[in-house]
Amino acid sequence: MKFQEELKDSIRKALPDLDVVLGWCGSFDPLHATPHFIRREEDIDKLEISPLSVHNLATYLPGLRGKKVGIVVKGCDSRSVVELLQENLINREDITIFGFPCTGVVDQAKIKKALGHAGNVRTCDISDSAIVIQTEDKAHSLTLTQMLADKCRTCRYPDAIISDYFVGDKIGEPAPLETDYAALEAFESLSVPERFGYWLKELDRCIRCYACRSACPLCVCRDHCAAESRDPHWLSQENNVRDKVMFQVIHAYHMAGRCTECGECQRACPVDIPVLMLKQKMNREIRDIFQYEAGVDPEATPPLLSFNMEEENITEKEW
Amino acid sequence: MKIGVFVCHCGSNIEATVDTAAVAAASREFPDVVFATDTMYTCSEPGQDEIVAAIKEHNLGGVVVASCTPRMHEQTFRRTVERAGLNRYLFEMANIREHVSWIGKDRESNTNKSVDLVRMATEKLMRNRPLYSKKFDINKRVLVIGGGVAGIQAALDCADGGLEVVMVEKAPTIGGKMAKLDKTFPTVDCSSCILGPRMVDVAQHPNITLYAYSEIEEINGYVGNFEIKVKKKATYVDWDSCTGCGICMEKCPSKKATDTFNEGIGKTTAINIPFPQAIPKKAKIDPDFCTKIQKGKCGVCAKLCPSGCINYEMQDEFVTEKVGAIVTATGFDLFDWSIYGEYGAGRYPDVITSLQYERMLSASGPTGGHIKRPSDGKEPKNVVFIQCVGSRDKSVGRPYCSGFCCMYTAKQAILTKDHLPDSQSYVFYMDIRAIGKLYDEFTRRAMEEYDTKYIRGRVSMIYPQGDRLLVRGADTLMGAQVEVDADLVVLAVGAEAAAGAGELAEKLRISYDSYGFYMEGHPKLKPVETNTAGVYLAGACQGPKDIPSSVGQGSAAAAKVLGLFSKDQLESDPQVSVVDIKRCIGCGKCIQTCPFGAIKEMEFRGMAKADVIETICQGCGICTSTCPQGAVQLQHFTDNQILSEVNALCRF
Ligand SMILES: Cc1cc2nc3c(=O)[nH]c(=O)nc-3n(C[C@H](O)[C@H](O)[C@H](O)COP(=O)(O)OP(=O)(O)OC[C@H]3O[C@@H](n4cnc5c(N)ncnc54)[C@H](O)[C@@H]3O)c2cc1C
Ligand code: SF4
Ligand code: SF4
Ligand code: SF4
Ligand code: SF4
Ligand code: SF4
Repeated sequence: MKFQEELKDSIRKALPDLDVVLGWCGSFDPLHATPHFIRREEDIDKLEISPLSVHNLATYLPGLRGKKVGIVVKGCDSRSVVELLQENLINREDITIFGFPCTGVVDQAKIKKALGHAGNVRTCDISDSAIVIQTEDKAHSLTLTQMLADKCRTCRYPDAIISDYFVGDKIGEPAPLETDYAALEAFESLSVPERFGYWLKELDRCIRCYACRSACPLCVCRDHCAAESRDPHWLSQENNVRDKVMFQVIHAYHMAGRCTECGECQRACPVDIPVLMLKQKMNREIRDIFQYEAGVDPEATPPLLSFNMEEENITEKEW
Repeated sequence: MKIGVFVCHCGSNIEATVDTAAVAAASREFPDVVFATDTMYTCSEPGQDEIVAAIKEHNLGGVVVASCTPRMHEQTFRRTVERAGLNRYLFEMANIREHVSWIGKDRESNTNKSVDLVRMATEKLMRNRPLYSKKFDINKRVLVIGGGVAGIQAALDCADGGLEVVMVEKAPTIGGKMAKLDKTFPTVDCSSCILGPRMVDVAQHPNITLYAYSEIEEINGYVGNFEIKVKKKATYVDWDSCTGCGICMEKCPSKKATDTFNEGIGKTTAINIPFPQAIPKKAKIDPDFCTKIQKGKCGVCAKLCPSGCINYEMQDEFVTEKVGAIVTATGFDLFDWSIYGEYGAGRYPDVITSLQYERMLSASGPTGGHIKRPSDGKEPKNVVFIQCVGSRDKSVGRPYCSGFCCMYTAKQAILTKDHLPDSQSYVFYMDIRAIGKLYDEFTRRAMEEYDTKYIRGRVSMIYPQGDRLLVRGADTLMGAQVEVDADLVVLAVGAEAAAGAGELAEKLRISYDSYGFYMEGHPKLKPVETNTAGVYLAGACQGPKDIPSSVGQGSAAAAKVLGLFSKDQLESDPQVSVVDIKRCIGCGKCIQTCPFGAIKEMEFRGMAKADVIETICQGCGICTSTCPQGAVQLQHFTDNQILSEVNALCRF
């Protein structure tokens, strides 16, 4: 990318005061990137930013509390940082944020579907409009916009919301390819038994690996997740769909008005359960009731983390 | 745990629609239940004795009573199990009366539902733990907010009972609305003759400290140990040396200041004493009208004051007071009637409020007790009273009855005749609500002896005709339109919560209804308590009330405070939240949401953790539903206790 060198220069400048800088680098094959921990000068050269930089590195921040950490963020990742700051889970003075104008990242599930069982990837060339992938037997040319993650197709914050260094030219307010929550609204038009049936079927696949939870930057309970505790004992360890549904409901409730819809939960799920939709549902309700969007204003208090005697849009005392 | 279950008949209240013997039989099959029976009246002495005997005989570790609501008898049964040597929290109640027998007729379904409720109670009981209260010292001083008749009564009763009282009054004088009234129903005795001495008592009582013209800035702490920050608003007069001689007031050249005490009938001077009997009788400057403060010129009062008290530079001052209990007696204010276009929306000078009329009737008022039309100073002949202005009117958001307007309107009609024997009074009313002692007799007298014409119906329009007002309305009893030529129209304006009641409630952490009136602990059984321990209510701040009821509630609040302070130490309720520091990640979400400020951050081995101050925690449970980790748990209502009830109910 154009600004990659500029970014490396910024990191080089900041690194002496930092314990680590989080970014991305190449992975096991040309189609994948992996989180990159820059500790020494020589690690900087491996940094790569591309539509494969899918990971939300903010997930690492709470665990690195107490250290001086630099982090490269996409627009959406910066919202997680904002949310973590709001919730007092990281200290602003300990982190250095590197922003860049993001043009979107791919959804590996969409690519996998387009390629079918194609075997090993030899090369992968990404231009502004296409991804050309050379597999063992042939070259596949995919349209980039079609391979973009859903969140990128509706993205409204491509430039980091907060940053200490920003490289490249800001994109500003983009025209989203799709409107927010269109898919959610289509789903909501189904009947209750249809929707319930859908979730029973989808969640029956869940293996309770908790990857969705571990990938979430805001699931900060870690060792004390309600899913694995006996005190309080919300869930049994039995293998039944009831507890799986309950787990996702708990996750969605805990995320209401905090989730920035970064989609890491869904991306991490090894069995492709569309768990993000549950969080979107909660967020849409929060937006409608409180006119609030998570992770866009570092000074704001998430509505469910405050207490008011009287809520403007909830009339409990109407008689 | 060995559990005993007692299913109450409540006479026929429960037994009529629930097969209590069958409920007891079903309970015997539940895990841990070793004894179950049905009894006629569990709360009666033999009923309680049966529980005690069963605990001893069967060596029970916990008891379930299936009967009425915990609000009714939880305390009763907790004492019962305590008598038998159990911890009071090893008891659960299943409500099979209000939740079952009173709301359904189908005996079989009712019986099944009762069995479910008992199953839930036993499952929870198995997870109950003994809980113990802690003792803490209390500060036996009381704060009374508001110096109306209710606050005065509470303050005097507490002070006579030996307590130190701090009274904070927003206005420059105490007395509230009653000080503005001429005479009072139903005895038509002079208001200031009965209130005046009480006001003087407040000023002179060695146990009472009065902060007039002051407001509550901040309240911290909890029952037994509140810390109050009081704002003494700048009066520009040193009250320690002001003797209330009134020379300043005589000579002040700025005579256009708003006369709040006289409800805006007439004007007053920029430096003024609200009325001759004011307590404290001290002058204060209204800075908006003082030429010295506004323009830097004048200074007459400073020159003339014999005690040299004037200080144009005075600032608000803050003092801190420590008390153990609070009586809130902030009263009411009048509804802003200008919303009513049909009554002229404030355009006609001869349409006035009932309280303005009281000032006009009062011999110490701005007209010296003469009834005069504000427009031309003439004596009116026809006086029309309109009731329910801003009461019982959904269209203006005031569906409730203000309670005292029917009565004071009758009083004012009687007084009108006394003042002006040739006058004729008309009253437009909806219903006459005269339910107090001697009240109906009183309204009848207004009609029969004083020849007041009562017309049942609403007024649809008032408009000027010559120098009079034409009042057009319906007489719903006659089914006819009526028109009255009026010289003066008096609106019985309804009561609403005192200005600023909501902000004060938030500082006190008490709740209020959608009209701003403070909520009592229970509409019937706890009329002076609030849901915040140590905060009590008196008078019209809780809902419109006439003087006898306000005084009664003032005394009741004082009795509550004296009762509270009859012990040297209080016991904290152990049903509070507790943080499991292993699970707490110190995010502070609970600190943000706790409406009582009961959680603070502490440090544990270098990590931030939440800590609940048990004396402040009210057990509302908001923190427990906020904390994602479930690190903070409300004792006696832990997640696991509630989940066990849910699981007992939703078995599949
Ligand atoms: C026109 C009229 C005529 C009436 N005639 C009669 C009658 O004849 N007989 C009868 O029984 N009843 C009568 N009433 C009703 C009577 O006025 C009330 O019952 C009585 O005033 C209630 O007393 P209170 O102390 O509760 O409230 P209030 O009299 O309203 O006193 C409240 C006091 O608290 C103060 N205050 C308010 N907010 C604060 C604050 N935030 N901080 C500090 N202080 C504050 C106020 O300044 C005031 O001094 C009449 C009412 C009206 C409107
Ligand atoms: S959501 Fe926006 S900021 Fe995030 S990866 Fe997609 S385009 Fe970039
Ligand atoms: S719940 Fe999912 S979408 Fe929301 S913040 Fe967590 S990982 Fe991102
Ligand atoms: S990542 Fe997927 S499979 Fe794993 S726990 Fe979450 S929903 Fe279940
Ligand atoms: S919300 Fe829970 S984890 Fe956070 S500080 Fe409070 S108790 Fe601790
Ligand atoms: S239960 Fe929690 S939120 Fe409620 S008062 Fe106690 S500490 Fe505060």
